[in-house]
Amino acid sequence: MSDLRKGIDASAMEALVGTGTETVSRRYRFSPGFIGFSGHFPGNPILPAIVQIRAVVSLAEEECGKALRMTAVRSAKFLAPIHPDEDVWIRYRRRIDSGKDICDATLSVAGKTVAAFQLELAEEETSR
Amino acid sequence: MITGFTLPMAAERLIPQRAPMRLVDTLVSVNDGCAVAESVLPRTTLMADGEGKIDEVAFMELIAQSYAAFKGYLDRMDGRPPGEGFLVGVRHLEIIGKAYAGDRLLTSIRTVAAFGGFAVVEGVVTRGGETLASGTLKLWLVDPDADGDDR
Repeated sequence: MSDLRKGIDASAMEALVGTGTETVSRRYRFSPGFIGFSGHFPGNPILPAIVQIRAVVSLAEEECGKALRMTAVRSAKFLAPIHPDEDVWIRYRRRIDSGKDICDATLSVAGKTVAAFQLELAEEETSR
Repeated sequence: MITGFTLPMAAERLIPQRAPMRLVDTLVSVNDGCAVAESVLPRTTLMADGEGKIDEVAFMELIAQSYAAFKGYLDRMDGRPPGEGFLVGVRHLEIIGKAYAGDRLLTSIRTVAAFGGFAVVEGVVTRGGETLASGTLKLWLVDPDADGDDR
């Protein structure tokens, strides 16, 4: 597991809610010491977009109990910056579309959507 | 325009990201609206798992930082410090292959459009001629003369 993934998991504030094809959600709070803020950016820490996406994939892995690989970002919008110590609600729902495992996700802060994206996921292969 | 900036150039001189979130090492070449940047992520990168596999989300950041290096280079050529930019959108980013710590990754970017403080950029990440990921990003370039909140 990468240090980034460990830092994301450690930022979860509660157990995940929801399973399967229901909407799954969890609250996160990324502290000023979170590794993803380091160097992004000096003096103006903002949660990187890739951390937001990684958090959703990690949450989906935990919910389904399988290692997942992101095979595509169909679309993503990052609407507002996320700062340290903000409560971030991550919600996603998975569905099958044309044989693809699709994950529709949103991140919100104080009731406002700050990011929305649609990912394609697949079960991870272990061989190199 | 200031002359004397030769490529390749260390990305640290061109982009605001710093370790461990700086993933691009070097701006290799610039040609019109296109550029190539190089990255070799070490085993200690925060993006690598225990087997050295790089998290696939890193491909998106490689494209974004490669464009930032390109833009920072143009800013320096114009006698300005490199400006800030933020990723605001992604379209059709496909992740085809896997990268590992120690791989020499080349990210090629092409500026598709630039208007009103926004840039649309196509990017391709390759390793030894093999495409690992490609997609289109939209970035918001901060106007250094504008006041106001960042939110």
